[in-house]
Parts: sequence; C-alpha cells; structure tokens
Amino acid sequence: MGAIEGILTGFEVALSLEGILFVLLGVFVGTFIGMLPGLGPISAIAIMIPITYGMNPTLALVMMAGVYYGAVFGGSTSSILLNAPGISGTVASSFDGYPMAQNGQAGKALAIAAISSFIGGTISVILLMAFAPMLSSVAISFGPPAYFALMLLGLTAIASLSEGSTVKALISAVIGFMVATIGIDPQTGTARYTFGSTNLLDGIDFLIIALGLFAIAEVGYLIINRHKKSITDAKQLGSLKLSKQDMKEIAGPSGRQSILGFVLGILPGAGATIASFISYISEKRLSKNPEKFGKGAVKGLAAPEASNNAATSGSFVPLLSLGIPGSGTTAVMLGAFLVLGVQPGPMLMGDNPEIFWGIIASMYIGNVFLLILNLPLIPYIARVLTVPRPLLISLVIVFSLIGVYAISFSTFDLYLLLAFGVIGFLMRMFAFPAPPFILAFILGGMMEQSFRQAMTSSNGDISIFFTNNISLVLIILSVLSFAFPIIKSMRQKKQEA
Amino acid sequence: MKKLLAGSIFAFMLLVLAACGGDDQAADEGDNGEPQDWEPEESIELVAPAGAGGGWDTTARMTAQTLTEEGIIDQDIGVVNQPGAGGAVGWAHIANQGDSPYDLFVSSSPLLLVPLNGQSDYNYEDFTPIANVIADYASFAVRDDAEWDDLNELFEDMKEDPSEITVVGTSAPGSMDHIQFIRFAREAGVDISQISYVSDPDAGGVTQLLNGSADVFSTGVGQIVEQIRSEDIRALAVTSEERLEGEILSEIPTAKEQGIDETFVNWRGFFGPGDMDEAAVEYYEEKLKEMSETEAFAEVRDNYGWDEMFMGSEEYQEFLEQENEVFEEILDELELSAE
Repeated sequence: MGAIEGILTGFEVALSLEGILFVLLGVFVGTFIGMLPGLGPISAIAIMIPITYGMNPTLALVMMAGVYYGAVFGGSTSSILLNAPGISGTVASSFDGYPMAQNGQAGKALAIAAISSFIGGTISVILLMAFAPMLSSVAISFGPPAYFALMLLGLTAIASLSEGSTVKALISAVIGFMVATIGIDPQTGTARYTFGSTNLLDGIDFLIIALGLFAIAEVGYLIINRHKKSITDAKQLGSLKLSKQDMKEIAGPSGRQSILGFVLGILPGAGATIASFISYISEKRLSKNPEKFGKGAVKGLAAPEASNNAATSGSFVPLLSLGIPGSGTTAVMLGAFLVLGVQPGPMLMGDNPEIFWGIIASMYIGNVFLLILNLPLIPYIARVLTVPRPLLISLVIVFSLIGVYAISFSTFDLYLLLAFGVIGFLMRMFAFPAPPFILAFILGGMMEQSFRQAMTSSNGDISIFFTNNISLVLIILSVLSFAFPIIKSMRQKKQEA
Repeated sequence: MKKLLAGSIFAFMLLVLAACGGDDQAADEGDNGEPQDWEPEESIELVAPAGAGGGWDTTARMTAQTLTEEGIIDQDIGVVNQPGAGGAVGWAHIANQGDSPYDLFVSSSPLLLVPLNGQSDYNYEDFTPIANVIADYASFAVRDDAEWDDLNELFEDMKEDPSEITVVGTSAPGSMDHIQFIRFAREAGVDISQISYVSDPDAGGVTQLLNGSADVFSTGVGQIVEQIRSEDIRALAVTSEERLEGEILSEIPTAKEQGIDETFVNWRGFFGPGDMDEAAVEYYEEKLKEMSETEAFAEVRDNYGWDEMFMGSEEYQEFLEQENEVFEEILDELELSAE
C-alpha cells in the first residue's frame, strides 16, 4: 500500500463519525486532566487504559493519542496561572507565562499558549505525515555519544537561564545534578544515596521536584508577601485579544520552534522537555531584547509551547515505526497499544495502515478541536485567579499533593514534595534560580547514563565522542553556545572601556 | 458508549479506591477457624507491582477478567497498580497485609532477582506461592547484517575477548535481561565476569542494535518479533526447551538444539501474603487451574504470545527454590549479590 493510499485510509478512519467522536472524547479528557496542576499525560493515559479494554483497537488508539497530545496542550494552563507545571515539557512555559499572568495578562498568556500549541501541533503533524516512513532512521541515528553531546548542548543553557549571579545558578545546577544521581544506577545496579530506603530506589520523580520548587515554593512566597499590592493586582485577567503585533511576534518563534521541537521529539529519550528548553534558549539568543525574557515576553511563551506540542507529535515516530517508547509517557502509550493487542513497530504501517495513518490523520482534527475547545474557555479558566488568595493557595497545595500521590501512591513522596517546597522557598529567598536546578536534574541523569554507555562500549576510549559525526557537531555547537555569551560580554566591556 | 461510561465509572472508582484504600485491608482479617471449604466473602484485590500496560499489569487484568466473565469467582476482583523500584514497593505493601486472604499479587523472575540484588526487603520466602499460570521466554538478537549466524559463533568470539562485544538490555546489571544472557554464556564457557553489558532504560535495546552502539540485545522474545519480521534484526536463539509456535517464532532455534544445555523461562504467577490460610491457598489454586484450562484464557495466551505453564502451590515452591539457587550462584560469580 502506497503512502497516499495509506493517508486516505487514515482520513477515512479519522473522519468517520466514530472517529470524530473518539478524537473529541480523547482530546477533551486529555486537555481537562492536563490543565489540572500536578496531573499530566502519564496520569491521563493511565486513567484511560482500563476503559479501552475490549474496544475497537483503531478507535481506542485514536482516542488515546488524543488524550496524550490533549494533555500536553492543556498542560501549560497550570504552569501559566499557578506556576505549577504538571509535566516536564511545560516547565519552560512558566518562565514567561507566569510573570504575564501576574502582570494582569492571564487571558493573553493562555491565548498565546493555545495558539502556539496549535501551530506546533499542526506543523508537526504535517511533517509527520509527509515524512513518517523515513523518519524512523532519524530516531535510531542517535547512539549514546550523540545523546551525551545533545545533553551537553542543553546544559549550556544554564548560563542563559540565570538572572543575576552566575555562581548561584551554577550552585543550583550542581545540586540538581546531585539529586539526579539518587536511586538505582542502571549501569551497575547499585543503589546510590538511598540511605537504605526502598522509597528512593527509583530516584525522585521529576514532578515532585517541579511542583516543590515551583508551586509549593511560590505558595510560601505568596504567603510571606501577602500584603504587597502587586500580588493582589494579578486578579485582573486582561484582554484576551491579541494585537496584530502580538500575532507577528508569535508567528516567527512558533514556526521555527515547531520544526526544532519535532526533530528533538523524534529522538527517543530527548522529547518535549529538552525541546522546550532549547527552544526557549534559542529564542532568547535570537531576540533583540533578551532582557525581557523571564518577565513576560510573548516569544518566551510561544517558543516552548510550540516546541513541546511539536515534540509530542515527533515522539510518535519511534513509537509507531519502531515500537520504541522514548519517554515515560510514550512507555505508557506503548502499554496501551499492547493491551489492545497491537504491536507497534516497523510492520505496523504495512499491517495495520488504518491504525498507523488513522492516528496521524486524527491529529489534524484533534488539534482543531483543541483550539476550539480551549479558546472560548480561556476567560473561565483564567478566572481561577480571581478565587480569593487563601483558597487558591490551598487548592494549589491540594492539587500538588494529589498529583504527586497519583504517581506512586506513596506517602513518602508527599514528604519529599514538602521538603522540595521548603528548599525551593529558601532558594527564592536567597535568590538562587530554580530553572538551572530543574534543567540539570532532567539532563543530568540521561547525560551520565549515555556517557557511561558510550564508555562501556568503547572500552574506555574517550575518542568515541569525536569520531561520531552527530556527536562531534553537537559538541562543537555546545562549545560555541558556551563561548558566545562570554565573547559578547568581553566585547561590550572593551567598547565601554 | 455504554461500555465506555461504565468503564469511566470503573476507572474513577479505582482512583478513589486507590486514593483512600491503602491501610484498611489489614483490618479485615477473617477467622481462620475452619480450614476446609474457604470461600471469599468480600472483594479480592489483585496487585500488579508495576504501572499500567506492562506484563504484570496485563496478566493481572486478563486473569481478573477471565475469572469474572467465566463465572469462576463470583466476588469482585479489582486490579491495583503499585509501581516502584522494580516491584519492591508493591511487595512491601503485600508483606504488610498479614494473613489477608483477599490480597494477591502477580510476579515473575524479578521477585527472585530484585531481592538477591539487595533492592527489596522482601523475597519470595516472605510470600505464599499460589499458582504459576503462564510463561514467556527470552531471546538474544543481533543486527540482521551481524557476523554471527548462530549462538555458538557468538559465544566463540566472546570466549576470545568478551569485552569486544557489547550486550544491551533495558534493565540494570543483575536484573533479568542481564542474567538470562549470562546463564547461557556461562553454560557455553564464556568468562562471564568480562562481559560488557549496558542498560538502556530510555531508548531501548533495538535502537542501540540498529545504530551499532551494541551488538547483542537480550530481551523477551515477544518484544522483537516485529523487528525480526521486518528483517532489521535476527534472533540467534530462544531460551525455551522446544521451539515456540507461530509464524516468526517457530523459525527461531532454541539454544538447546545448538548444543547449549540451558533454558530460561520467565514464569508468571500469583502469590499471597506470607501467612495466608491454607484453605484460601487451596481455593485460589483450584480456581486458577480452572481458569488456565478455559478456552477464553487460551485465547488470551495466544493474543499476547504467552505459553501455558501451570504449577500448583507446592510444585511452584520447589521450582522457585531451584531457580533462586541458580540465580544466587550467578550473582555471586558476578559479585552482584547483596551480601
């Protein structure tokens, strides 16, 4: 069966009455669960799996895919309004989204997020449809050395994420690295820094750290500063309408970062988080007014939002065409496939074209639905901020606790959440930035593992990082990215002198 | 639609149950007065000590479904996921249920290996084996254009220099993916302490095989059927006693027929808390046997590529002891055991 014929089959599935209904149901449930602080696509998919037992596999999977990208689409809401990211991919969206909401532009921030998510989703589906059959070779082109180099490139972003003291940003990052080493080391099977507790064997879940450092710490900060006027002003929701100027500002980053996000999403293990961080940094570097980033820049919100949604579509490439789950979320997705008796892999496109192409085709419709569902709801969702502060703060705490409890049903994790809340609060008080911590935590684990995988297979020969083309290019890019700001500031000093 | 609604209600109830359940089962210790003819009087909880969608989860859910739909057990059976630490979190939960006859769980080889690695406070001796139900097997795969045509050629090269060849699996050294390969390499006379093994929990072994980062992928045979079919990779051997059935599976030679006298079964069965009442054990054993013999469950096995492997409680206990001994020896040789 040719690709064109396959695409037609896909649309036949996606445009059938049942197809449309299940896409709608999937994106609705997904976006709703995704909007809740602390709950992301993993919880959304896991909740839906038992429902699919016994369903028609094609429709069930179309729906599950909708749940997945719907949850990513809605995920930015809690980042923007409450600084409480539900998935790692939306942490970067809070950097500019939350300040915007605090400045009385909550409606606008949500609209920007929805539109750039839509652009990211749609561009990436077009790419997915056009190139899906060939993209599987991209997904496997990255060996451990290349992954290590990619993480290295991501790490150079730390300097850009810090406002104020670089030393404090570096300290914050080092602690993030240290926390990433907690748990069983996959390369030796040794338990590290678990102090004999089984609760720490799996390491610390990302969500605990993100909610602790961002949401709970923010709650503490709000309580301490409750009499400041600026905080009560956040009740203004601002206009929803985006000016022409805003649309222009969104267009560039969304377009560029959709492609970047898609490509990074294809790589198993890299995914939406790294994509959103790299997108954020690269927009900041490209921007003429980088000082506006972190204070509510339109581009600083549009870039990670387009990128994380595009990366989500990208992550379907290794999943569908190789049967490889590239992240925790796609691993649960793979589980959903297997439960329905469908084995994703290189033969899926030929054997079950209606599933392969049906999912891809349904994403077009799903993205349109998401936009239609989300835009009119924004005024209502943004009204969350008009809830009296004491109540809102309690709700954030409750949802953070539920979100964390839902990962593992372990009360130990709740104490950890509170502990990271205290750490985050102290970091804020003493002006240690949290983003470098979280970035180092996300990248550190994978970076260490790919470094050691590479060294094991080369028997300890470090040249493996320079003989591989992809890894060499990425290392050169990292060096440039690291050196660029230094050279720039040296020049400035010279001019001033 | 009706089914869907019922399903969502069920999922919601599960969530609520999971959220507020936890400790209250411990209170329901039935009387152990009459050893004969035990019958469940309340709903039964079936724990999968892993997340939704994995092997343990699927086994638990399909078992619960068959037991209910075939009318074998009338009480409600709820499946609960307790992921964490390769099973250790779920095992700890069950170990705290005392002698409750309503808390069962599903497990397989990791129940032996994880404690031996020192990563679980509880091992198989802390639980009551009820019955083993199914089996699946491991396989060792290489890239389609790899130089080795069979397992012996691979092991010959490894005997010369084990460190030249990289073996990849999804889990850490000392866990199933690693040890199943070691069992065969050891039988063939390879110096197992020199084998270079990498674990890739994220991207997975197939990627590493295809991009040349690793040479051999040690995994469950069901995981690679699609890549074998598309001729991207080849399986050098399957670890079962006899060849498996199925269009691709039957073409994979066993290690045994290649002259390596070793087998590896990833058995999967059900357990209860350590002090479970004998009458309850007998009851479940019988019901699971009945289930295993139904056509409905035969279909389930076919769907997921599992083999039938029924063992009653006593036989299971002996089998576990033997398996545990083999694993212990290997881990000692690799210096990976906890003590």
